[in-house]
Amino acid sequence: MSENNQVETPEVKKQSLKKHMGLKTKRAISNTVIHIVLVIMSVIWLIPFVCIVLQSFRVESTWQVGYVVPHQWGFDNYINLAQTDFWHWYLNTFIIAIVSAVLQTVIVLCMSYTLSRFRFKGRKGLMRFMLIIGMFPGMITMIILYKVLKDIGLTHENAVPGLILVYVASSGMGYYVSKGFFDTIPKSLDEAARVDGATRLQILFKIILPLAKPIIIYTVLTAFMAPWADFVFARYVSMNTPAGMNVAVGLYRWLNQDQISYKYTMFCAGGVLVAIPVTILFMLLQKYYVSGVTGGAVKG
Amino acid sequence: MTKKSKIFAGILAAAMTMGVGFAAGCGGSDNPGGGGGGGGDKPLAGTYDAKIWVAEAAVELTQQQIAKYNQTNTDGITINANVVAEGEGEAATDMIADVETGADLYCFAQDQFARLKQAEALSKLGAGAAQTVRDTNDQYAVSAASIGNDVYAYPLTADNGYFMYYDKSVVSESSVTSLERIIADCEAAGKQFSFFLEGSAWYAASFFFATGCNSEWVVGEDGKFTNVNDTFNSPEGLIAAKGMYKLLNSTCYNNSEKAASFEAAIKSAVVISGTWDYTTAYGILGDNLGVAELPSFEVDGKSYHLGSYRGYKLLGVKPQTDAKKSSVMHKLAQYLTSEAAQIERFETLSWGPANTNAQNSDAVKANPGLAALSAQAPYGKLQGQIHGSWWDIGKAIATDIKNSGGTDEGLQSALTTYKNAIDGIFSMSEEEKNAYTVIGSINGDGWTVDLPMTEISTGVWKTTVAYDLKENDEFKVRQGKSWDVSYGDGNSNFKVTTAGTYYIQFTISGDVGTIELIAA
Amino acid sequence: MTKYSDLEYLKLSKIHKILYKIACFFIGIPAWFVNLGKTIGKKFKNFGIKVKDNFVDIYKTFKEGDYKTRVSFVIMGFGSFARKQYLRGAIFLLFEIIFIVYMSLWGGYWISMLPSLGKQGPETNVYDPVYDAYVTIYHDDSFKILLYGILSLFFIVAFIYTWRINVKQNRISQEILATGKPLKSSKDDLHSLIDDQFHKTLLALPMTGIMVFTVMPIVFMILVAFTNYDGSHDGYFNNLFTWVGLDNFNKLLNISSGSGAMAATFGEVLAWTLIWAFFATFTNYFLGMFVAMMINKKGIRFKKVWRTALIMTIAIPQFISLLYVSKMFSNEGIINGLLVDLGWISKPLPFWTDPTWARAMVIIINIWIGIPYLMLIATGILMNIPQDLYESARIDGANAFQQYTKITLPYMLFVTGPYLLTSFISNMNNFNVIYLLNAGGPTNTSGTTAGGTVGHTDLLITWLFKITTGAEAQYNMAAVIAIMVFAVVSVISLIVYGLLPSTRNEEDFQ
Repeated sequence: MSENNQVETPEVKKQSLKKHMGLKTKRAISNTVIHIVLVIMSVIWLIPFVCIVLQSFRVESTWQVGYVVPHQWGFDNYINLAQTDFWHWYLNTFIIAIVSAVLQTVIVLCMSYTLSRFRFKGRKGLMRFMLIIGMFPGMITMIILYKVLKDIGLTHENAVPGLILVYVASSGMGYYVSKGFFDTIPKSLDEAARVDGATRLQILFKIILPLAKPIIIYTVLTAFMAPWADFVFARYVSMNTPAGMNVAVGLYRWLNQDQISYKYTMFCAGGVLVAIPVTILFMLLQKYYVSGVTGGAVKG
Repeated sequence: MTKKSKIFAGILAAAMTMGVGFAAGCGGSDNPGGGGGGGGDKPLAGTYDAKIWVAEAAVELTQQQIAKYNQTNTDGITINANVVAEGEGEAATDMIADVETGADLYCFAQDQFARLKQAEALSKLGAGAAQTVRDTNDQYAVSAASIGNDVYAYPLTADNGYFMYYDKSVVSESSVTSLERIIADCEAAGKQFSFFLEGSAWYAASFFFATGCNSEWVVGEDGKFTNVNDTFNSPEGLIAAKGMYKLLNSTCYNNSEKAASFEAAIKSAVVISGTWDYTTAYGILGDNLGVAELPSFEVDGKSYHLGSYRGYKLLGVKPQTDAKKSSVMHKLAQYLTSEAAQIERFETLSWGPANTNAQNSDAVKANPGLAALSAQAPYGKLQGQIHGSWWDIGKAIATDIKNSGGTDEGLQSALTTYKNAIDGIFSMSEEEKNAYTVIGSINGDGWTVDLPMTEISTGVWKTTVAYDLKENDEFKVRQGKSWDVSYGDGNSNFKVTTAGTYYIQFTISGDVGTIELIAA
Repeated sequence: MTKYSDLEYLKLSKIHKILYKIACFFIGIPAWFVNLGKTIGKKFKNFGIKVKDNFVDIYKTFKEGDYKTRVSFVIMGFGSFARKQYLRGAIFLLFEIIFIVYMSLWGGYWISMLPSLGKQGPETNVYDPVYDAYVTIYHDDSFKILLYGILSLFFIVAFIYTWRINVKQNRISQEILATGKPLKSSKDDLHSLIDDQFHKTLLALPMTGIMVFTVMPIVFMILVAFTNYDGSHDGYFNNLFTWVGLDNFNKLLNISSGSGAMAATFGEVLAWTLIWAFFATFTNYFLGMFVAMMINKKGIRFKKVWRTALIMTIAIPQFISLLYVSKMFSNEGIINGLLVDLGWISKPLPFWTDPTWARAMVIIINIWIGIPYLMLIATGILMNIPQDLYESARIDGANAFQQYTKITLPYMLFVTGPYLLTSFISNMNNFNVIYLLNAGGPTNTSGTTAGGTVGHTDLLITWLFKITTGAEAQYNMAAVIAIMVFAVVSVISLIVYGLLPSTRNEEDFQ
């Protein structure tokens, strides 16, 4: 810093010492500030969930109220769920989630592996076509999908296979993230194997899939989570038939004017029960989700 | 090179053949479920599947009533019922989305009637059933369920109106009749006044009815709306807007219709709602709950009692392809809306009956919610047939009034915006807007029908046919079927001096229009 | 503007460099469009040439073909059978049989009805004197005619394509046999499906799904924009619907026509959609990155705890959490209650009833939703930045802020450029946040039309939803708006893709 040959007076020494100390305290202060900010953020982020959980234990009234902590605690709302179709909806959703998670993963892997690994005629065009198709707001096509499903008998009480069919059939569109992941696996691995006489199928099963664990788990996880939250399209397909509803549609109905007064706390209880499997799974597989979503962002 | 496309095409083909196969198979659904097929004197005997949508609270009762019907009916009918909970608002949306798979019988609020009829989701009542409806209900209930002389639904309840729930510990007994005093009480206590003005035209109309405004819709014989007489945009409407502005901009205003607002973080002391909220309101306030007719508001020293809609809930029958099933469904609907069934519904659910006899029972008269409704009744307006879009347009008027700044100009512009939107419903093409038509006491129409004219040369318009005009018949020529531009004899109507058969010819040059009668 | 040479450019000051780059971007736009036009023109020309070539090839194949080839023109797969490629032959033949049966039984009917979309509507309320009841007799179904009409057309295209391949196969087989080599056996064919033709096997199923459940509905919906399909013309139960040409587009874009508010409303909603997408994307992006940096900073403890707390928002379905959050901020809700109790306000804040408040609130709450995702992404990427970059920067005396602007930000932007675009587009179509928080409200009074209400926070996608569920159920108008959304989105992405300097080179990351 000092360019001239200044004699090191005690004054200067003290200053530099101060500076050193300053750096340390500065870091300590900034870390404390960050800790405080993080605590506040965590509180803000968690408040709604805590509130929902608390509401679900409220016994004294069943409608929406303006206080958070119940006056009277109990499991009534959870017990009462058994008298509704809730567990049926829950099972429906669970089936949809499991089946479509498996099938969607297969479809997405087929798509993304192919588009990442093969260079065939029309590949670029295909990808561009999918990109363009993806820009069309899909919401509007609900009415058509409903009528198509109705024609093959997969609506109303048969909404579960109908929903699985639509989720799985359109899942190929979401190949992007996992293609990004496959792109990062060196091609030299394939080439070496091909030289050794392996077929493409063998390469896929013996070499690529073991390396693709994070993206497989990521795909399974996202596919598993989606059906729990679909309250628009699933409502259309089940068309007010309790037997065909998923849990989101069923719960959402409880917020109707003629039901909310009696069902609000049960809605919260149901919400907590929905959140449990998803949250647990998410917590366990967080690591993979991060690498999946990061890989997708980098390449997607 | 080719495998993929082969497989792909094969699957596509299979999918398509499958789809079409099913499509063909789906053609003639709704067959009555087997049964003995009608022997001799009991032509309707048999078992019928029926999907029924009612409000959540009524599911159990409806199931019991149908079980009873199965035991007691003399036609040998057995109903295999599937009763499902469905909100009355959603019922209409779902029926319209797919009539075929919709419920055979469904409850809906009166304001959905027009939409359902337009979508052909309501089956007309046979002569016998229609007569029963006319005999057992008052004329208003009948008109709520009919278009012209045809009846399309069964009146179920007559309680589809609103009144005031209040907290006696906040609003004093002496304040109940005055909006201003209630607002003062609420503000003093730091409590809120919940009135769903910004969310629903149904509530917002309250202030306009108070000052004598009207919104009446004209329905043609085919069930289509042809016109509206809407006087919200008028001096009286301005008074109503001033009254509404006062409430909307008071510190205690809250936009809600839920009795649960009595227990919100910022508690309400007043909630304007209907009979369906009584249990919740009582559950929160207990003995402090007061129930009353709506209050009056004051503008320029004059007092106006808030109005309301008086509406009905109706039971509709889906159009059937099989006459026998249609007949059976109507019989069931008749049973479910009979006097006995309505009384039962009142006793278990406190739903106010539409049936005249049931209405007059002492128990019904003693119910606090229904008592408040009937106290409000003189100020209530019967909810006739209303265009579906009006509910959307009317929803916006309160928000506009709230943000108007409270000046006359501001309020007036809110009313103008509203009026323009209403006019947009009967929107016309450019051609129609510019065209001239004849309207008057001619042709037996009494100023209701616009007679068409064609432009025979630039600025010269002539009726397409000749009309028999009597002496002293009066008429005017107007543009775009609106009174914004109209011509007669100066500012008054054109008068026919000699009777005869004439073409009416109209010549416009600049702002001057002249009318001639040309003998045919 | 003057163009700088490389040398001149390097001499520019920093701020000038940036300005220069931005200017270049915008100046590039017209040229880029011209280029696009040229490219499209070229594509068309190439397409024409290709079609011609195909016809020439078919003609040659027939002329030079033996009888096996020639019969294959009529009976598909005949040549393959005759040349002992039974598998191929069977597939071709089966396909042709299915096609002919389908077309003569059903397809022909659907296609013949396409121009009119139905001839006879339902007869409603027909009186039956025996039972004193009314019945309805249903006839044509415009919806199904359109749906199966399109499918049949798809099928025809697929057939023509397959027929073409069938012809080509014959030619190739003939040529191979002429050289004396053996043809592939059925076994070889099957084997190639898991080896050099493996991509076809893998793509067959996903692409079928996409064609039937994504592409076909979109084609259908685009066609609906040219019909009068709405609540009172549902095609079966009340009235048939039919083709109306460009009427719906006129209605949307022409200010002077009937319900004229639609053009103005469309403009307003589009503007807000773009504003929303911009803020929703970039607030999340920067704040999420910031949070990630805080959590990953050296000396911060309980990293896992903070991360877990944040990602709860991802794990819990939005229809539960957002509805609750929306309620918290209502006029009578907990937040207002708290503020009043604290004496900070005397009157509840109009979080959802004032347009400006509501718009700010949806953006703020969207941050609550979005930060966790961005935090995860940024965490992954930040860890990939080589630490020695920071090391050397520190030696050069760069402070934390400088390190951020010189290293972190450029790296992030470079790596996540395409992600920003996709997230901008998905924010434009972010139905859940808007619909669940305030259903698009508060009502925009001037934008309300006969088609339904529109709110100040409505995006095009939620508006479209309201139109289809509104009183008149105007599916046709919703379809027009969907096409508009599509147009806007594709223009934005085309521009960005075309101009982004580093639009991914796929092989980069190998």
